[in-house]
Amino acid sequence: MSIESIHLDKVCKRFRLGTANEYGRLTEAIASNVVKWLRQSPARKPSSRSDSPTQQLEDGWFWALRDIDLSIQTGDIVGIVGRNGAGKSTLLKILSRIVTPTQGRVGVRGRVGSLLEVGTGFHPELTGRENVFLNGALLGMPRTEIRRRFDEIVAFAEIDSFLDTPVKRYSSGMAVRLAFAVAAHLEPDVLIIDEVLSVGDQAFQRKCLGKASQLGDQGRTILIVSHNLSAVANLCRRAVLMQSGKIVADGAPESIIEQYLSDSQSGGGRRSWGDDESAPSSSEVRLQAVVVRGNGIDAPTGEVDIDREIVVAVDYKVLSNNAKVSIQIQVKDETGAYVFWSANAPSMSVSPDPWFGKPHPRGMYRSECRIPANFLNDTRYFISVLIGPEVGVTSLRQESVLSFLVHDTGAMRQEYTGSWHGPVIRPRLDWKTQSL
Amino acid sequence: MIASDDEPIPTMQYYGPTDSFGFGQLSEVWRMRELLYSFFLRDLLIRYRQVVVGVLWVLLQPIMGMLIFMGLFSVLGTNAGSSNVAYAPIVLTGMLCWQLVSSSFRDATGSLVNYRHVVTKIYFPRLLLPLASLLCATFDFLIGSLLLIPVCWMTGTAVVWSTVWLAIPIAAWLIVFCAGCIAWLSSLNAHYRDVGYALPFVMQLGMFISPIVYDVERLRHVLSEKWLWLYEANPIATCVGLLRWAIMGTPLPSSVGMAIAAAITALVFFSGLSWFQHADQQLADRI
Repeated sequence: MSIESIHLDKVCKRFRLGTANEYGRLTEAIASNVVKWLRQSPARKPSSRSDSPTQQLEDGWFWALRDIDLSIQTGDIVGIVGRNGAGKSTLLKILSRIVTPTQGRVGVRGRVGSLLEVGTGFHPELTGRENVFLNGALLGMPRTEIRRRFDEIVAFAEIDSFLDTPVKRYSSGMAVRLAFAVAAHLEPDVLIIDEVLSVGDQAFQRKCLGKASQLGDQGRTILIVSHNLSAVANLCRRAVLMQSGKIVADGAPESIIEQYLSDSQSGGGRRSWGDDESAPSSSEVRLQAVVVRGNGIDAPTGEVDIDREIVVAVDYKVLSNNAKVSIQIQVKDETGAYVFWSANAPSMSVSPDPWFGKPHPRGMYRSECRIPANFLNDTRYFISVLIGPEVGVTSLRQESVLSFLVHDTGAMRQEYTGSWHGPVIRPRLDWKTQSL
Repeated sequence: MIASDDEPIPTMQYYGPTDSFGFGQLSEVWRMRELLYSFFLRDLLIRYRQVVVGVLWVLLQPIMGMLIFMGLFSVLGTNAGSSNVAYAPIVLTGMLCWQLVSSSFRDATGSLVNYRHVVTKIYFPRLLLPLASLLCATFDFLIGSLLLIPVCWMTGTAVVWSTVWLAIPIAAWLIVFCAGCIAWLSSLNAHYRDVGYALPFVMQLGMFISPIVYDVERLRHVLSEKWLWLYEANPIATCVGLLRWAIMGTPLPSSVGMAIAAAITALVFFSGLSWFQHADQQLADRI
């Protein structure tokens, strides 16, 4: 038997652009209302519109969510994936009632616990002990129940010696441990987790994931937003892919993650912006294209053989004359592990880059970086591009601009046919045994 | 541990944009009264944690106010009190009420803004924040009221025992009026920060148009009966006048004045609730 735990019915949310964090003036508001009233122009109501255009922007309004229909059963663990700005966090905020939807209605069964940020609800002046009670009450836990679970919470958070220290003296790791401990032991019917698990050390993250799956076994409904895709794949029984404020796919985590990754791969090894204003740019440089291809192959590919050199080419336009430009790339794997960082500086390069440190006249440039063959593992990698006036200084940063898959051709499998799953890289190294 | 089958399945609660009058907030506040208590306790703890004088501070404020105005009027040679009651208990009642009004207004107005890091991250009935400030002010008011006992005894003021119990519903009236006002003030301040800047001036004015440091009787010479009801339409003036009547037997405010004050209180309270609910829906986006 399955009982619906969360139900979203045509939920929309829009924000006014540019005024989100602006303080209004009461006098201005009154004045503009008086002017409006004098002109007798009726106020436009958002609900008067029936069509639903695909554009997210519309006369100064931004539609963060549009017509979201979602139904989640009790005991489900659902991961929400999508690029930054796809509406994931807004969705979670609507579910936890922090934000009221502009249209539509939201139904939630039972108590909701949410972990949207580290140490939310902690008062810096109060001690850990007092904050546990305050935070528990904030999450809707009765005082008697907090007292009953107090020792368990403290043990989970591993902060016993700091209990009577004001929270302002805690490290961020301690604060997040305490916050998670309170939220997880509150036994909410629905637990909402937004990216908080990225704080804290590996061991604690593992502990949190264990606790989350334990809660799931107890029949609690859990929603997770994470860029840690391996956690989503491990923990969740269902995943939802969001794009531009809409749900575009819903299903088993593996297939959703695959779809998300292939979407972000954007046209197989090539991401280009053309020569327009929307391209990522700083005052001196405008990014035009990033391409991945195998050495000796002209066409960009999203998949490179493991025994082939990988070429990452960054095309950019220098906008101001004699600008100094340094190109850097970062490579991460799909679990978010940081594999390496490299720049075109002479000491980081096999042979010095002739343009490094030289003033670049205005014009088009292409910087190429070669990742050696037999070095990466057969998994998916994400490339971020960083451009700055010198190494270590970033004026333009494009996260996860492109992804590529390394294809195992079997070049390193002559003697071993087992799994290579786990290592971040798979370098071919120099081995020699001597008889001594 | 598997969730037991006999555990009742909670009902699905729906919410979304709503145009109701905001009465639902009151039942939510009641459901989350433990949190209200936590907020109240937190405010108290923080206020007295690093203050040496501690709770004595609550008593010191009305006493100092009382002494200042007693000294001022004796130097000026004016009688600001009532003709049949000593000035000290008159001004003390006024100071206590004013402290309730001014400190609840002041603390509640900033309550949502000061707590925006929580308001934008966790849901709870937002009305709890201004109400916790009101609860703190009420706590001070109750403690301070104990001062009336020695002051009445020392000045030889006769307490009207037949009506003194009415002080409780009258104080409750004042608190309801404050609740309505702070519902308006706190949510307005979250949207328009200038409310917080304007408040001190309004409060200064309010202290003089309410019978805090003088008795209403003094106004009878200035305002004719024809206009006195307008003055008493101010619920603060009426409540202070009623409290003095109930405890010390000063003349009762006019019935027209009381009726209008009651109507204004109801209007402020219900419109405050409804406005607060309306403002609450955009709070996380705007604060």
